[in-house]
Parts: sequence; structure tokens; C-alpha cells
Amino acid sequence: MSSMKRITTIAQRELVDFARDWRTILTMVLVPLLLFPLLFIGLPLVIGGEAQELAATEVKVLVRGDDVPSDFLGLLENRTVDVIPGPAVSNHTVDDQAVRNGSLHMVVQWNLSGEIHEVHLRHLSTSSLSADARQRVLLSLSEWESIEREHRVTEAGLNASETLDPVRIDPASEDLASEGEVQGWLLSSFIPLILTMWVVTSAIQPSIDMTAGERERGSLEALLCAPARRWELLAGKWAAVSAIVLIGVLLQLGGLMFALTFLAGPSLLSTPDVGVLALVLLTVAVFAFSVMVVASELALAIRSKSVKEAGALLAPASLAVIVPAVLVQVINLDGVEAFWFAVPVVNVLLAMRELLLNQVDPLHTLIWLSTTTTYTALALWYAQRQFNREDLVLSPS
Amino acid sequence: MPDELPLVTLDKVSKQFGDVHALDGVTARIDRHTSTALIGGNGAGKTTLLRILAGVYRPSEGSATFADGDLTLHRRRIGVMTESTGLHLRLTAWENIRFHARLFGIDDGLARSRSESLALRLGLGAALDRRTEGFSRGMRQKTALIRSLVHEPELLLLDEPTAGLDITSARAVRALIESLVEEGRGVVWSTHDLTAATVCDRAMVMHNGQLVADGQVGALLVEHDAQDLEALYLRLTKEATREFKAGMEALS
Repeated sequence: MSSMKRITTIAQRELVDFARDWRTILTMVLVPLLLFPLLFIGLPLVIGGEAQELAATEVKVLVRGDDVPSDFLGLLENRTVDVIPGPAVSNHTVDDQAVRNGSLHMVVQWNLSGEIHEVHLRHLSTSSLSADARQRVLLSLSEWESIEREHRVTEAGLNASETLDPVRIDPASEDLASEGEVQGWLLSSFIPLILTMWVVTSAIQPSIDMTAGERERGSLEALLCAPARRWELLAGKWAAVSAIVLIGVLLQLGGLMFALTFLAGPSLLSTPDVGVLALVLLTVAVFAFSVMVVASELALAIRSKSVKEAGALLAPASLAVIVPAVLVQVINLDGVEAFWFAVPVVNVLLAMRELLLNQVDPLHTLIWLSTTTTYTALALWYAQRQFNREDLVLSPS
Repeated sequence: MPDELPLVTLDKVSKQFGDVHALDGVTARIDRHTSTALIGGNGAGKTTLLRILAGVYRPSEGSATFADGDLTLHRRRIGVMTESTGLHLRLTAWENIRFHARLFGIDDGLARSRSESLALRLGLGAALDRRTEGFSRGMRQKTALIRSLVHEPELLLLDEPTAGLDITSARAVRALIESLVEEGRGVVWSTHDLTAATVCDRAMVMHNGQLVADGQVGALLVEHDAQDLEALYLRLTKEATREFKAGMEALS
């Protein structure tokens, strides 16, 4: 029997065993598949519903002062504001208390000093209604100020439009990036991060189950008695965990593309403009990143004597991948230094960002491909060392 | 009857885990046509010895050779049933057996017919296609036993094969083992159950990592003037403890 056949047999058994658990199907298949479609349908619905509800709610605003322009009050009332007029005061204790207990949502103190209108606003930023009342007041103020400005300029004998708006931007100005390139740029700002989170978290459970879990259940000893070399056992497990992770990634990306194509509105994202070579390299990058992370997690899980210990080790260790992934989001791709493409984790994620922008740089590609392969080989070498340890099977008696 | 050439030869085998001496200078032979009871208390070194015989551990000192070479190179000729059975509970009994059979390079059809035949003998026939998570301990033991036999090994290593079995099932397992020995296989049976061990041809008594007795059961009883294996075991382990203490005192 060839090594490849043994590895396939082991991987196949691991996958069947893993897929028999309904929780696995739920977390590894349904969640990645439905994540983006649900986000694209559910999130706008929730946000839109909440915004509508807030906009329809009347807020109470106490406007203090003797010189409050009546047209400003009219603008406020147009924004569903219940205006409560009041005299100017110097002590705000009672007003503040009213805002805090919700009987008022905001207080506006208006004072006319010569030609200047001094406006003092008091609101509670931790209250949604109070924050929204402030927003309505600011919009009304801006609108009133604009009218007042035009009125004063005209009174001074000037052309309001030319005086107040001396710079005109040509409405025909164009973004040289195509719509597809813009979509790629937008996707590159969050795809690597989401992918990292998914790969890191989804590999933890199967990595632990197939190593420390097997050890704890006693099935590892039976497996070690079989005529398979240890590296074949490891390769089978590595292939199985990688397959699980990659299936999740593919489902997640499939869900994203479905959501972008069929669910996203015209103002939202659409399909990015990525060439064939970039797409192929992107696939390689996703694959390389996944197998590298899986190899590292397997290596750590094998080291652990129990499922509990493996969990305690892998959860904080995943930060070693997530933190660089966050760093990748802030690296400026214009004129990016080549050394970034050699930094573990950063290299392949940065490559994904570049490729989503349809940029294929031969030097960058060479660096991230060779370094990722090296890091994966190192992780596997370490995992193999751990898997060769005799105390993999404990409890001598 | 044992052939002249032993199936396995253990020559001054020792095994250390850090400061722990799990096995200390064990010399013995395992023969074809012979069932050997491996007897000893907890921590005596039985499981470590079985793991060395299975090729999972390598001796720290000494050698363990399978007829004509290193034990680890002869895994195909060895069948192992571990104490914890080591079944994958989300798989059926047949899937568990088939997985191991494939690793041993056995064709699915052949593995199935052998499994059905063994399952019938052990009273597990109808359960072969059921998931093992719903199995009793006894059923799991039987499944693990079939798994260890499906590639027809020359040497069978069993760790507590009858633990948790009812009387009928235990008898069926013992009968199966006896027939395997008749076919020419060597069987090493690690057990705490001295009644079960009585049916074996030979006994190896382990104590504190040392082999304190090894021979035909009848001959050992006569040699040590013991009525049964229990009396023999108690006598030997007392003697060993006494000798160990005397040695320690002499050293100090």
C-alpha cells in the first residue's frame, strides 16, 4: 500500500468522523455559507429599521433665550422636534437633570451678542434619542445659518452665490479606477481580516479533536499500532483539517460572491475586477495561508497532553495570527516595502490585498510564495517532531 | 506446540520515562501456538511491555526482535487490542474495522467477510453496521477484537480483552483465542483476571517493571508450590518486594 493511499485513508476517516457531528455541519458549513448573505440582508434591514424608528420619534428640545429666531424654531419643528421655549438661565442644574432622566432630550441656550448668535448645546451622548436630538438641532442650525449668511451677503450688495461659493468642482470629474477596481479595493480592506479570523478559529477545533482528542479517547494508540509511518498519520490529519478549513473558506467566499451579485444594492459592493492570473494567485494565497495556519495549530495541539491544555494553548496562540492580520489592514500598499512580503502571516495577507487590486508584482509573489512555503514546512517539521515523541501515548503501567 | 524459532525475542529490555523505570531487564520469548498471560498489578509494566511488543515504544536498553528483525518493522504481523478499545464512536463498527483493514492493505470485501465471520462467533453480527457510540463496553471490546484480527496477525496482543464482558461473551472470546492459538498464532493476554489467565499456556508475572516469573502455568505452580495463579502471584510479588527491600538496605 502506498503512502499516498494510507494518507488518503486517514484523511477520509477523519473527515467522515468529523462530518457525522451535526454541530460540525452547523458551524463549518452553514455559518460560513450564510454569514455574508445574512449580513447583506439582515444588517441593512436592522440598520434601516432602527434609523426609521428613530427618525419618526419626536424629541423634546428646550430652547432658552429671548432672541431665538422664529424661522429657526420652524426648521426644528420640521424635523419632528417638540420645541419647548423658555427664558435664558445661568444655572443648568434642573435642565441637566431633565435631560438625564429623559423628560427632555436636549437643551439649546440662545444668546444674541451684537451680530453674533451664540448657541450653547447640552445633551447626553449615551442616550440615542438625545444624540439624535443634537443631530437634528445641528442640521437645523446649519440650514438657518446658511439662509442667514445669504441674507447678510445680499443685504451688503454682493452676489451671494459668487461670494460664498467661489470654487466650483467640475461635476464631470472622474475617478480613473473602474467600478470593479474600486470594489476590489473595498474588498481588500476586509477580506484578508475576515479570512484570517475564519481560518484561525475554524482550524482550532478539528486540530485539537484529531490530536489531543484522539489521545484522550485512546484511539491514537490503536492508530499508532497500525502499519503507517507517523509522518503519514500526521499528513492525513493535516490534509483533513486543511480540507475542513478550505471548504469553510470556499463556502464563505461563495456566500460573499452570492451576496455581492444578488443581494447588495447598487450603492454597496459588487463583483471586483480581478484578472485570471491574480485570481489564480489569490487562490494559491488562500490555500497557502490556510495550510500554514493548520500546520501551526496541529503542531501546538499535538504538543498538548489533553484537550483542555490544547484549548488553553491554541486560543491565545491564535492572536499571533490575528494581530498581524489587523496590522496588514493599515499597511499602505502604494510603494510598499518588499520585506513585508517575508514577514510571517503578514506576507500572504498583504499579497491577498494586492491581488484583490489586480496587482501582480513578480518580486512580491516570489517572496510571499517562497517564505510561506518555508514557514509551512517549518510548522510541519515541528509537528512531525512532536508526533514522533514516544510520550504521545502516555500512562505507562 | 511452540516452534523452535520464537515469534518474538525480548533480550534484557528496559524502558525508562525520565526517572521512572517502567521495565527493567526483561528477557523472554513469545512463541507461536502459545497463549501467554501477562499478569501484574497496576504499574507493574504490563502495558509498557505490550507497547514495546506492538512497536509503539522502543526499548531504552536491550532489544525486542520479531522472528527475523526489529518489531517496529513488523507491524503488519501484529494485531493489537488496547485497553481503551480506541474506537471512533461516530463511525459504525464496520467502518472502524474497515479503516484499520485499509491501513493494513486488506481489501474491503475480504475485510467484510472476515469481520462478519468473527462478529458471528462473538455475537456481534447484527450490530456491525451500527454506530459504536451506542455500544455497551462489551460490544466495544468485541469490535476492537475483530479490528485487531481482521488482517490475520501472527501475534495478537490483548490488553484486558474480557474486562466488562458478560460470562457468555467472555467464554466466546476465550474460545476464539484458543482457536487462534491452535491455528498457530501467538497470543499475549494482559489481564488482572487470574481465572481467565488460567486458560493460557504460559504465564509471565510482572512486578515493579521486572519479570519475576515466566513459564508454563502448571510448571510454575509446582515450582512455587502454589495451588493456583492467585497464590502464585501473591507469593512471587511478596518475594520480589522482599528482595527489592533487601537490595535497597544493602545499598544504603
